[in-house]
Amino acid sequence: MTQRDEIHASLFVTCIIDQLYPQVGVSAVKVLRKHGVVVDFPEDQTCCGQPLYNSGFTQKARQLATRVLDSFSLSDYVVVPSGSCAAMLKVFYLELFAGDSELQERAAELAGKVYEFSEFLVKVLDVGDLGSRFPAKATFHSGCHLLREMEVRQEPLSLLGRVEGLELAPLPQADTCCGFGGTFSVKYPHISQGMMDDKVSNVLSTGADLLVSCDMSCLMHIGGGLSRQGHQVDVRHIAEVLEGLPEEGGQRLG
Amino acid sequence: MAEVKTREFVSASDSAMKDASLRRALRQVGGGFNEARLEAIEEVSWETWEEWREEARRTKIHALENLDYYLELLHDRVTAAGGHVHFARDASQANSIVAEIARSRNVKIATKSKSMVSEELDLNQSLEANGVEVYETDLGEYIIQLAGETPSHLVAPALHKTKEQVSELFHQELGVPLTDDIEEMARVARRVLREKFLSADLGISGANFLVAETGTLVIITNEGNGRLCTSAPRIHIGITGMEKVIPSLQDLAVFLRLLPRSATGQRLTSYVSMVTGPRRNDDEDGPEEFHLVLVDNGRSRLLADPDLREALYCIRCGACLNICPVYGKIGGHAYGWVYPGPIGAIVSPALVGLKEAKDLPHASSLCGACREVCPIRINIPRMLLHLRHRLAESPLETENATTTGERQAAQAYSWLMSNPAALSAAAKVGRLVQKPFVSGGKVSKRVPLPLVSKWTGGRDLPALPRQTFREMWAQGLESVAELRE
Amino acid sequence: MVEKQNLTSLGVPKDDFLDHVRRSLGRTHPVVPPPLHLPLTENLADLEGRAAAARERLEETRGELADRFEGTARARNWNVFRTSSAEESIGYITQLAGRLGISRAARADQPVFGELGVDSALRNTGVELFVAAHDESTSGPRVRDRIIESGLGITGADYAVAETGSVVVVPRQGLSRLVSLVPPVHLAIVRPKDLVESIDDVFLFRRLEYLRNGGDMGSYLNFITGPSRTADIEMKLVVGVHGPREVHLVLLA
Repeated sequence: MTQRDEIHASLFVTCIIDQLYPQVGVSAVKVLRKHGVVVDFPEDQTCCGQPLYNSGFTQKARQLATRVLDSFSLSDYVVVPSGSCAAMLKVFYLELFAGDSELQERAAELAGKVYEFSEFLVKVLDVGDLGSRFPAKATFHSGCHLLREMEVRQEPLSLLGRVEGLELAPLPQADTCCGFGGTFSVKYPHISQGMMDDKVSNVLSTGADLLVSCDMSCLMHIGGGLSRQGHQVDVRHIAEVLEGLPEEGGQRLG
Repeated sequence: MAEVKTREFVSASDSAMKDASLRRALRQVGGGFNEARLEAIEEVSWETWEEWREEARRTKIHALENLDYYLELLHDRVTAAGGHVHFARDASQANSIVAEIARSRNVKIATKSKSMVSEELDLNQSLEANGVEVYETDLGEYIIQLAGETPSHLVAPALHKTKEQVSELFHQELGVPLTDDIEEMARVARRVLREKFLSADLGISGANFLVAETGTLVIITNEGNGRLCTSAPRIHIGITGMEKVIPSLQDLAVFLRLLPRSATGQRLTSYVSMVTGPRRNDDEDGPEEFHLVLVDNGRSRLLADPDLREALYCIRCGACLNICPVYGKIGGHAYGWVYPGPIGAIVSPALVGLKEAKDLPHASSLCGACREVCPIRINIPRMLLHLRHRLAESPLETENATTTGERQAAQAYSWLMSNPAALSAAAKVGRLVQKPFVSGGKVSKRVPLPLVSKWTGGRDLPALPRQTFREMWAQGLESVAELRE
Repeated sequence: MVEKQNLTSLGVPKDDFLDHVRRSLGRTHPVVPPPLHLPLTENLADLEGRAAAARERLEETRGELADRFEGTARARNWNVFRTSSAEESIGYITQLAGRLGISRAARADQPVFGELGVDSALRNTGVELFVAAHDESTSGPRVRDRIIESGLGITGADYAVAETGSVVVVPRQGLSRLVSLVPPVHLAIVRPKDLVESIDDVFLFRRLEYLRNGGDMGSYLNFITGPSRTADIEMKLVVGVHGPREVHLVLLA
């Protein structure tokens, strides 16, 4: 790695990874550290407020968002292993605080520091050799907020393309929503699952044995469907894949 | 006004999803239109496309910001061209205006070209009640009129019907032999309706655009029925929403480029017809009278609402329907009123009442595909969020539709997420409580919590892990790898 | 025309309606907006200047325009016959009539027909040709009936748009709205001087006409872009629903 000033970044781990998929957070930290980042984790962080915001509880979402502004006010960078939560911090907080110039200003300041995990690796760290291997035939699902709010399209694919042993098959209808949609997934489960069925079919059509994404929420949904329907497709967050499997064969934990 | 069934959204969308032929049709239409749209855009280049979108949006913003001015100009120019302009505050007034014109002119037969506003008003029903025979003449509209149904798509109203169903319908209603030849079905419609065109006293059309500067009504069609409706009968009534006005003839060009490409992927439809008043004295033919009915029917509420005004920029191309994965699953009827899909989930609540249509703003995964394809760059997800906000937190009794349970859940969630210590404690409790319901790392389908069972109906749910990330971090991440087994 | 009862004020009075719109916009008094692109009350001299510049541009690019128009028109399913010979163009029309096996045709009364002499050629092949010309004997219901009976409708073009492959017709005296619409086959004759580059050109020239006529657009204008079509049943394209199923262009260039 070329000589440069130490990069300090704060991890916003997201509540879903904290509560349900802690190993993803661990992988994210390991990958960041491997590339020389000094990672900190503000321990009073919780949820970005998106579930409340998307359900219309704007006032309550503002309370949580204000906590995030406080928790990360001193950070140089805020790295978020989720396109959707990153979009909440970077894009939707500005809408959420419309009409309150002081908070909006703070939200704008935060927005300038927020990166989705794969975006951070490419745009800020400009990582070259990943030094990781993950033998599998994989396909990549992009979350809608990653695509349309964060406008992160090529970064995860370019990273995955450099993982040793990973064969990447393009996912048909990659731009179509998987049907998770936060509260939508339980408010209208029949529609949500109908959309999921299409995504599952598309994943299966690639012949991949691994589905990778930058969003655990989509993966919980699509993976929940794959596993319920009895399909042997592993689902992994991109951080886990970039961390790679240990050199000597052992089955990966998780 | 057209019957409102928005309260039945959940059951209607559920039955729609079980309708195999509907699902096949939806895949065909949405996919087909969208591919054609992309091809048409690539032909002119994305850069040009973005310039057009920008120009169109700017024009709509300007026209709506000065709507009073342009409506007055339109009125003056239509009148100067020898036409009449009538203003209707609501659906019943609009229907009365048309009925009064029909009555005073002794109209017996009317032919109509496709108009979503007339669907909104339920104009046919009103005219028939006044003794006028009304014939829809767009093939899709004619099919659903014969079937006694409503349109399920802004551009392809009968997409939910298979050719077998159409053949059966024509057989029943028109007494023609059954056929599986779609061209033959179109010939039948041509023959039956040609007669109606030639005997009609009144032709009714909607409008895609109204040009204020010249007092011109513009309709964009493919079949030719619009031209016949506006040419053959002795009276022409154009009826449309007041938001359709644009300033000048030259502003129209960009919309002619955007609308057909967005709707069907066509570079231009077969016909663009521009009507300015009735026939002139030395014209060869054309209607003797031209009436323009401009309808508010709730649109002024959108106009007055800075958060929702942009819904009035819509040019009804249907691109948001074609791309929407929710519409693609449930089709148009499930939405319960005239305007389906993402834009309908905003327009319908605004026109029929937010509480009446409270399910619609939630009928979206907020994926943002609609905003991406909208030729006017209407930010539909942002407006859906505004409507959700009003449903959840509005102080107005007419808007707030949150149940106590939902409010309490939001309250509990926000409290828990404001207290990291409580969150950690809850995780510990959760790990204990889940034990009887967990096997193989998954939560059982029988957890007696509605929120969980709505998830686990069709998807596995991972059990809570032995540690949260924050617990791992607190112990020092280097040592946690082994703890994860 | 019989004088009818006055129906100008059905519904809400204009001023009340506009006042409500204005209040919805947060205003109490009318405001004249700044022009968006061009002033609506553009002065005639300016517009004439722009139109003259446009005509010059079109004149210089006539050949390319004809090529481009031919291409877009073909892509929109016009049958294009391009020729610079009057004789060949007449031959195409009579052959078409022969192939269609029609006994009656209708044509509009436009200058191009005086230049070509289509009438006698068609009549020599035994086709009864009706000219929708404006005089007492033919106007009214008879015009319509004769057009309905026709197997072929023939018109000129007021404009032919290279951008879109459209023929623009402005129905008026001598040009029934129905000639290009009601017969199952339509043929339009396009002269080099009818060619314009874009929709914008058409609207520029129409605005000029509008101002010159003291604010009269004429009652009707049609862009015709290929045959009548529908895909309302199962997205299957069917050509020829209410309008012509077959459309031809004779491009004299």
